[in-house]
Amino acid sequence: MKVNLMHGAGGEVMGELLQTLTKFSHNNAGGIGLESLDDGAVIPINGTNIVFTTDSHVVRPLFFPGGDIGRISVCGTVNDLTMMGGRPVALSCGMVIEEGFDVADLARIVASMDEALGEAGACLVTGDTKVVERGSLDGIVINTAGIGVAKTVVRDNGLVPGDVIIVSGTLGDHGIAIMAHREGFDLGEQIHSDVAPLWGMMEGVLAAGTIHAMKDPTRGGFASAINEMAKKSRVQVRIEEDRIPLRRSVKSAAGMLGIDPLEVANEGKVVMGVPAADADAILAALHSHKYGKDAAVVGRVVAGSHVIMETAIGGERFIEPPMGDPVPRVC
Amino acid sequence: MQTKGKILVRGIVQGVGFRPFVYARASEFGIAGSVKNLGSEVEIYARGERFLEFLAAVSRGPPMSRIDSVDVTDTDARIPDGFVIRSSGTGTFSGMIPPDIAICSDCIADIFTPGGRYEGYWATSCVNCGPRYSIIRAIPYDRERTSMDDFPKCPACAGEYGDPHSRRHHAQTIACHRCGPSLRLMDGAGADLPCTDPVREAAALLDAGKILAIRGVGGFHLACIGESSGELKARLGRLEQPFAVMVRPGYAETIACVSPAERELLESPVHPIVVLEKCVHSSHAGISNLHTIGCMLPYTGLHHLLFSHLQHPLLIMTSANMPGYPMITDTDVALAKLAKDADYFLVHNRTIENRVDDSVMRDGLILRLSRGIAPKRTAISLGSRCILGVGPELNANATIYKGGFAVTSPHVGNVRNPATLAYLQETVAKLERLLGAEYDVVAHDLHPQFLSTRFAKEIAEERGIGLVPVQHHRAHIAATTTEPCIGIAIDGVGYGDDGTIWGGEVFAGQVPDLARVAHLEPVAMPGGDLATRFPERMLYGILPEEACLDLLRSRGWTDVEIGVMRKQVAGGFNVTMTSSTGRVLDAAAALLGICRERTYDGEPAMKLESAAAGGKAETWEPVFSRIGGCECLSTRAILKEALTRISCAHNLDQGVIRDIAASLQYNLARGIAALAIHAAEREGISRVALSGGVVANRAIRETIRAEIESNGLALLINYAYPPGDGCVSFGQCVWAGKLS
Ligand SMILES: [Fe+3]
Ligand SMILES: [Mg+2]
Ligand SMILES: [Zn+2]
Ligand SMILES: [Zn+2]
Repeated sequence: MKVNLMHGAGGEVMGELLQTLTKFSHNNAGGIGLESLDDGAVIPINGTNIVFTTDSHVVRPLFFPGGDIGRISVCGTVNDLTMMGGRPVALSCGMVIEEGFDVADLARIVASMDEALGEAGACLVTGDTKVVERGSLDGIVINTAGIGVAKTVVRDNGLVPGDVIIVSGTLGDHGIAIMAHREGFDLGEQIHSDVAPLWGMMEGVLAAGTIHAMKDPTRGGFASAINEMAKKSRVQVRIEEDRIPLRRSVKSAAGMLGIDPLEVANEGKVVMGVPAADADAILAALHSHKYGKDAAVVGRVVAGSHVIMETAIGGERFIEPPMGDPVPRVC
Repeated sequence: MQTKGKILVRGIVQGVGFRPFVYARASEFGIAGSVKNLGSEVEIYARGERFLEFLAAVSRGPPMSRIDSVDVTDTDARIPDGFVIRSSGTGTFSGMIPPDIAICSDCIADIFTPGGRYEGYWATSCVNCGPRYSIIRAIPYDRERTSMDDFPKCPACAGEYGDPHSRRHHAQTIACHRCGPSLRLMDGAGADLPCTDPVREAAALLDAGKILAIRGVGGFHLACIGESSGELKARLGRLEQPFAVMVRPGYAETIACVSPAERELLESPVHPIVVLEKCVHSSHAGISNLHTIGCMLPYTGLHHLLFSHLQHPLLIMTSANMPGYPMITDTDVALAKLAKDADYFLVHNRTIENRVDDSVMRDGLILRLSRGIAPKRTAISLGSRCILGVGPELNANATIYKGGFAVTSPHVGNVRNPATLAYLQETVAKLERLLGAEYDVVAHDLHPQFLSTRFAKEIAEERGIGLVPVQHHRAHIAATTTEPCIGIAIDGVGYGDDGTIWGGEVFAGQVPDLARVAHLEPVAMPGGDLATRFPERMLYGILPEEACLDLLRSRGWTDVEIGVMRKQVAGGFNVTMTSSTGRVLDAAAALLGICRERTYDGEPAMKLESAAAGGKAETWEPVFSRIGGCECLSTRAILKEALTRISCAHNLDQGVIRDIAASLQYNLARGIAALAIHAAEREGISRVALSGGVVANRAIRETIRAEIESNGLALLINYAYPPGDGCVSFGQCVWAGKLS
């Protein structure tokens, strides 16, 4: 088998590749390791939970409405730390730059990274730079790694029947914004990426109540994240279609293109399962933060398996993990 | 000359009055002995001078039976005088219980015999008629293994049951007012309506325009008179979908042209919904806005009683479920789910063990394989393995092959949602149990995202058995013939070998080796499934031209929508390529402004066919090309011809649209036939198999038939299975069987 682009799309196909890439026998440093395929690893050191994660970024275009590759490369790592319940402390940054890349663009990227770091309350403390021959990559690749400290570790597999599912805001904004910008669609209305560092918001949420499981719905979108959570937790999740927060512009753009907004990436959202009793307090904490104004309860956890959408017209359908590319199936 | 022996009869020999039939023949020929059910076979011990005459008579079987084999062996058993029907033993499951059978004329006569034991009794039946599959829990088929077990026979019924001279001798469904299942009429809240005769009262409510949920043989119907169709459509939110009707015997002829063959179908033991051409195409538009209407005759005592009280000659009878979801069978579920749809509920208390929708037929083709036909059993030799075919996703059913027979379940529906997937799983489990089938291999559709594919993979993993993926359209051909052939599949969408979407395919070879040799030109589906829902997108996918955009603009598309779609097609963003025939018909319907949004399965193509009915087709020169070794028919060229006609027409009235619609269908069909004829010449094959959902379109089917036959080739269509996706699970089994 050769690697193809579908292997990187975050869907079911990527799982095949991961089978090869996760064959490490040295995969756990004492807490949560690679075997969990969670948002990050946890390494207890002297009674402190150190959270550790890494992420590489190759977004095209580099600059898009609502953000750029710099902001994403900081937020990706900050949010992965946050999803484990960790306060982001320090990040590293490895840049691989193509010969001929504009230094002015580099300056914009760095400024944008710095702004996101400031928002997250974290520092970029070490780095590495490589320049490669023209043509050996497309512009720039940014890798960040980060460490954080978690008082309470939150996993992505802790959903229990009785929990309610909360999303922290509108879904699909980033994916649709990037698509529209990259393909040059005039959608009649500008759609902005939601890319944002979430620690500031989640610090308050973690204090407001218990979170049984959480995940940031990046690649593969909400559909991928919620399926992974349900599968790992061995529960069924029931989502109510008309409670899912969707920006009108995103909905209309997705409708025009035949794209499911639940299957495209978000870069500033959280999906979490919380005990029903804590839901109000957690929602209030979310609503009090600028990144959580549109937070909503979208569903609930019951015994069983799979993720099921209760549709607006009274039907039911499965929300399936995206394959990578949609294939028509209506006869 | 043989005068004694043990006779083993295999086939559909249960639930068809086989044992009483044998008893009667034994009396006739002075035979001593016994008869009993063994699993799904019948075992007879017989002794008498006229043994051979008896054997010959028994071998013919009663009318509803299907006899596969009769084996006679010598026996040393002592056979005392007299003939007895013994209670059932266990045995093999090689046979199958028959489907539900419409009430027979003798039972109808009983219901309307004043002072008779069955006068006015809604569930009257006999050995020749009544429910079977819908009430069975296990085989052998005996009362205690059906939902009739809840109704112990009264002395009078027990007497008839034991009387060899009665039509109800050993009739497992025997029941009367005193002992059998009874009716209730309830309001929308489930409270009993005070009345002496629920059927008479229900008829009065229907005559008054009310909508009733009626519990029938295999599930609930929603029923109302024609005048209430608008109200029913509004309540269901199905404004366009045509409803089927049940009519008083003799009335179908007043609303539709009924050929002798169609009349025979209507009155057959199946009593299916028969799609008939209306006398006046525009009549009964509130029930069906097509040129056709689906009609059926009353098929239970309840229906006959209802019509005996009803003033109106016609009732809309549509199965009570959301489109694509299983029909509702249980009264409490109906009360909960139909509260907004039905004003009243007419229900019985006989458990529906197995759901069965009404079967639908047209021109002798089965469009929906269900009540009266399914479980469908076909003798075919597919090797020693037991095979499960889980079907495709839409209009699915399941088939199990075991020991020389393939058995197909009733229609399951669109396996797109948890409820229908659960129903498919339940159906497979039931078939497995009734057939005693432990399968060794699971055949499934090639589509990676079909829920049925996921289900197949789960079973295979659970049981550690093999999986056979079968390309959708090859399954269509495999369901038609296993001989060497040119296979035409004209269909909606199916996942192809190359990951694109197929549906207008010509194969050559022999199952399981069918090479794709020709197809419709691949065209763009802008937005994937979105293009199926909005046929105008498909139109632009096929004809990506300014003239086409101008047309859409004139119909209210905004500049943003136009711009996005143009860019999407040009850039290939979320665009799938397809050779589907169904999508070409959709585009044609969109071009003519006949259907802009698909609200039910097949809507654009059905409306196109209606619009074309009676039209005069022009002949357009087909345009062929070669792509990767396959001959391709340009569908773009056909639509472009039509677009030119539309642009040239001074006034686009119904007549002009009719002729263009007819030309579109004619030239598409002719082009497809040409692909097959060319392939037949190249390959030296003289047999052409035709399958796919589009075969239901009479104009297209008959054009292809005429072209194929006028070229000296033989056309094969399987009339025993649906041409649409209801044949796919069977085809999957055939494919998997032939593969080993
Ligand atoms: Fe099909
Ligand atoms: Mg997490
Ligand atoms: Zn009868
Ligand atoms: Zn009785």
